[in-house]
Amino acid sequence: MRPLVESETKIVFDKLANYLSDLKGLIAPLDDGDRYVFRLNHSRVYYVRLSIANLATSISRDQLLSLGTCLGKLTKSGKFRLHITALPILAEHARYKIWVKENGAQPFLYGSNVVKAHIGRWSEDCPEHSGCVVYSMSDVPLGFGVTSRSTADCRRLDPTGIVCFRQADCGEYLRDEDTLFSGGA
Amino acid sequence: MAPTKTVKNKHAANGSGIRGSKTSKMGPKKDNVIMKSKNNKSNPSHASVTHARGRPNIAELLKVRKKKRVYSAKELGIPELNMITPVGVEKPKGKKKGKVFVDDRESMNTILAIVQAEKEGQIESKLIKARQMEEIREARRVEAAAKEAERDAEFSNTKDSIRKGGKKRRSAFRYEPPMEGDIKDYQVTGINATQPKKKRVSFANE
Repeated sequence: MRPLVESETKIVFDKLANYLSDLKGLIAPLDDGDRYVFRLNHSRVYYVRLSIANLATSISRDQLLSLGTCLGKLTKSGKFRLHITALPILAEHARYKIWVKENGAQPFLYGSNVVKAHIGRWSEDCPEHSGCVVYSMSDVPLGFGVTSRSTADCRRLDPTGIVCFRQADCGEYLRDEDTLFSGGA
Repeated sequence: MAPTKTVKNKHAANGSGIRGSKTSKMGPKKDNVIMKSKNNKSNPSHASVTHARGRPNIAELLKVRKKKRVYSAKELGIPELNMITPVGVEKPKGKKKGKVFVDDRESMNTILAIVQAEKEGQIESKLIKARQMEEIREARRVEAAAKEAERDAEFSNTKDSIRKGGKKRRSAFRYEPPMEGDIKDYQVTGINATQPKKKRVSFANE
């Protein structure tokens, strides 16, 4: 387990900035004087309290399975892939949001993209190819994705047209149970 | 008093003691003392002679000559070759070895501010582009609607004019039978104009 180097930090922040409106809140000091830091172990990036990260130094790299919140994985090609485990952090400071109706929640949780017919509400002035968090109508975050078109373009779309390409959904907790915390995913 | 040596096997010192053995054939050794060779004795006397005369020894001179000065490429003025130095070979001095971690809040904040500014710029440009495209589309739509309205108005005008002047037009198009004198003309120029007769050649009946 080690802190991120500058290039890695930039890549991680770059990805997070697609989804979050305010990144500074991530590393702001807490009331008890503690703060959150980013740690890397087995090419996975964790978002963890500094005090817990310091405690975790007593555990060897091989033995350490996970700590704090797993944000995602740094791939060998130098990109960062967000995991569904990062959803609570993304949902808290999301820049663009999409609410899906009851009939659209299940297809999304089974791994489908969001089509226009399933959309209940959406954020205005959302450009194309920007990250958005998908919620149910009762404001429960279900996953996140990337918009296929801008909001204005989506209005002209037919009901079966894709509005948001899925990136991760809560169904992955079951579907990718074996590889989510360790292994190839 | 000199220390006395204890010899465990005195035959072993001068071979094995067996008659036909290898060591017995080699001949007797006087002692385990290494003797100086005669040549060694003669050389120092030689050297001492030359030193005495004040001349440098030839061997020494040769040794001195062999020591050549090694010139660096800079001293010789050789142009530098355009060589590729691998990434790991050049090691900057005075720098930290290995990875430089970003763990303090200040450096993290700097990176964060840069990234966020970049992203904001990208999103802003996307939004501006989308708005411009939307404006263009809206203008086109308005133009198309205006053209459609114009065409509709023209069409309705035409219909109205047809309705109002219907009788006149109908009479203009109505068929009126020609007068007697004009029949020939009419046949040539009118609707039922007959084609002119062709010249025919016929043979007299036999």
